[in-house]
Amino acid sequence: MSESIKLGLFTYDVKNGLGLIGYNVDDHEHAHIIVDTKKCGDCDSMMCVWGCPAQCYMFRDVGLEEMKFQYEDCVECGTCFLMCTDGALSWNHPRGGFGITYSQG
Amino acid sequence: MDEETDFDVIIIGAGFAGAATAFQLLKEGIEGDRILIVDRGEPIGSKNLTGGILWGRELDDFEEYLGNWEMDCPGIERAINHKKVGFLSSEDALFVEGRFASWDGTGGTDEPSQRSSWSVLRAKADAWMAEKMEEAGIFVMAGMKIDQLHIDGLDHESYTARDLTDPAEDSGKGAAQKWKIDNFPKELVDKIRNGKISGIVQDGEIMTSKVVVIAEGSNSILTRTYHFDSMLNAQSKEDLLLGVKEVIHLGKERIDERFNCFPGDDERPPSGMAMELALSLYRDMAHEAWKEYPVTDGLYPRCGGFFYTNRETVSCGIIVQLSSLPSGIHTYDLYQAFKEQPAIAALIEGGEAIEYGAHLCPEYGLHRMPHRFTRDGALVVGDAAGLVFANGMQIQGMNNALHSGKLAGKAIAKCIADGDVSDKALDATYTKSLKASYIFRDLKRFEPATKFLNNPANFTWVPELVGKTANRVFREIGEEKVPAEKVLRQVRKEMRSNSKANKKGMGLLSMLKLALTGRKL
Repeated sequence: MSESIKLGLFTYDVKNGLGLIGYNVDDHEHAHIIVDTKKCGDCDSMMCVWGCPAQCYMFRDVGLEEMKFQYEDCVECGTCFLMCTDGALSWNHPRGGFGITYSQG
Repeated sequence: MDEETDFDVIIIGAGFAGAATAFQLLKEGIEGDRILIVDRGEPIGSKNLTGGILWGRELDDFEEYLGNWEMDCPGIERAINHKKVGFLSSEDALFVEGRFASWDGTGGTDEPSQRSSWSVLRAKADAWMAEKMEEAGIFVMAGMKIDQLHIDGLDHESYTARDLTDPAEDSGKGAAQKWKIDNFPKELVDKIRNGKISGIVQDGEIMTSKVVVIAEGSNSILTRTYHFDSMLNAQSKEDLLLGVKEVIHLGKERIDERFNCFPGDDERPPSGMAMELALSLYRDMAHEAWKEYPVTDGLYPRCGGFFYTNRETVSCGIIVQLSSLPSGIHTYDLYQAFKEQPAIAALIEGGEAIEYGAHLCPEYGLHRMPHRFTRDGALVVGDAAGLVFANGMQIQGMNNALHSGKLAGKAIAKCIADGDVSDKALDATYTKSLKASYIFRDLKRFEPATKFLNNPANFTWVPELVGKTANRVFREIGEEKVPAEKVLRQVRKEMRSNSKANKKGMGLLSMLKLALTGRKL
């Protein structure tokens, strides 16, 4: 335990975490977040990648040359919208009844 | 007010603020079938998430609709009688722990005997509250998201919901960022931002009301777009925290035993523990991140940890100030470090995570409140208005949501009765009562606390200093015994010589300044 703390190695199994949440995913045509990935090209900080608690954004952090976004796992927190400094995000909540469904909250 | 509207009041969002508004309107004599409350979640509550603890007995005022809510509401989990606050560093944990007999509310104590805080799971609590609203005759609609408000004399097809929050094509960067709406005709923008609101638009259809209440919670799009909250830019990450948590199942018996809880009986809910901690767990992670991403060099994540016992589960998570997050660290990995800290790992041992989630929490303080709480025909309540109080000892939002909803309900009923729901009338009633309430009193009194809370020292050397000092004062490994104050000075000296950042941060003047702001908590 203390050994891994020293190394700073903490990796939350986010896919497993997301698997615990219920979703009613809307179709692509109604994606609630739209990312203009052209604007992401020279972004140094990639704050959406680090801020997003649902790993919806993947970019150079995982060796990709282009921003890859998926809305399906979104927990609708709004962090990415606040974090983006390049005006690349069109953000809205999903249509009524779609998206995340917490059963505990 | 001559022409008939579909409803007297339409409330957007069926959380605590919206529900309190609705119940208060009933109490003021507005008929249930003149109140519509809509929520984008289906079932209601499914979009909501809290840490979290409900403070205060605000719900007692709605006893006629909620009955014995403390015993009957499924999401009201355990009555807190056991509170812990403290510091957590990678190796050490130091808590101040209180168990208070008067918090049991069973009498016979010198202090006022009252249960006044409960761990809460909002998906369950909000669903129950929605049932109670229906039983009371209020129109409740689940699974309905409102994109647009109806504005007198404005064709809602002249703009779309997305137009209001989308960045411009050629948006520019950072604080100078441009928004789509900046390129709209001035007249249209003015109408959207200042026209009289008289209903909602849903799927192209208009539903009218005398007053619209925005109770969307944190990350309220309507508050931004209809310009209650004018900060339509990325700077507002300064004022928002992201909570990331798991609900971990341990089972009731194990929780009762592990946390020494009262198990509950016919009259009293089970008791529970609430813990909030300042975290200094991220030094090594941050140094690694800065090497990889120099763009945020020196930015250290300011995080608090929380741990609350529910009936069958515990809520375990962290809350991070978004402006303090460096590139190179995922928010969920901040949570993992907390979860693996030995003192926390021991508490959740043998448990199984049953839900993961994240939610924004406004921490506006007075300096960044919405610039208005009302406009012609509408007002904003609860988290959507940023009515959260945090001073490091306490974080309270749900009681403020309930209280602001009550004030809104009273004000709206009066304005409707007077036949004047203008901005001026709503401001003179709702905003005025809000500013005279305990919500603003607390925010004002503890405003200096924000400075203290944002001080990186509390998330770096302070937890380490107190942890190490306590460690040495309490142990017996054959060292010469010296007074605690001397140990503290010795630890400080070592920490200063170990790190350049500490050398500066732990200077006497910096420490004095920190102590002076900390006094105000």
